[in-house]
Amino acid sequence: MNLEKRMQGQVVVLSCAGRLNMTSARALRDAVGTTVEGGSSRVVVDLTNTSFVDSSGLGALVAGLKVARLAGGDLRIAGASEQVRTVLNLTNLDRVLTPHRSVAEASDGW
Amino acid sequence: MAGETYTVFGLAVPEGLDELHDLIESIGEEHPHVSDSDLMLFETAVIEIAGNVVEHARPRGQVKWTFTLSVLPDRIEAVLADDGVAYVAKGEGVPDMPVGLTERGRGLALASRVLDFLVHERIHGTNRWRMARTLS
Repeated sequence: MNLEKRMQGQVVVLSCAGRLNMTSARALRDAVGTTVEGGSSRVVVDLTNTSFVDSSGLGALVAGLKVARLAGGDLRIAGASEQVRTVLNLTNLDRVLTPHRSVAEASDGW
Repeated sequence: MAGETYTVFGLAVPEGLDELHDLIESIGEEHPHVSDSDLMLFETAVIEIAGNVVEHARPRGQVKWTFTLSVLPDRIEAVLADDGVAYVAKGEGVPDMPVGLTERGRGLALASRVLDFLVHERIHGTNRWRMARTLS
């Protein structure tokens, strides 16, 4: 998985390309942690180019969500594929990680 | 052509998951009767089972696995066999799906939701995970 980080206004966007699974979940977890420690707690994870997410990847997203909220912000997801939406739904995580269609939509209100 | 079998040999390590991904994603073109949705859900289940094997594999980094996938007219089925120490489940049956912001423990529950058959057996010193999904 390739992970890219960029600022978009007051929001940090982390773009994940490839598979977000057991081998790559740690990188996302660390990236969110570093971002929040650096003072940015409004994070959008852009999954537009993420082809697959497993339960390790979901764990990293949940961990990031908790870290961001503890710092007074939030973590939102954008551009989720059918596979990602399906696993979010099957695990009931879509109740706390609402999939937004785009980074712009996810950032709305921030 | 339905009825074909594919096999991958490797080590039960995180990097080994990519070989399973690649195999499953490659069979879609050869088997047009398998829908993208069925293939995606089966891949999701296989990777969860395999991830669980990697997590419990002892001695770490030395456990060998064999993944055998069969595409049949009405279903996809697979066996993931490894020569590691016996897998011991934490409880009876498939674990419940965790609730709230728990970070772990969703893998087997997720796999069982998209499979029609899932069983673990210990046979002749080998862990065998047998799984199947009926095609929609």
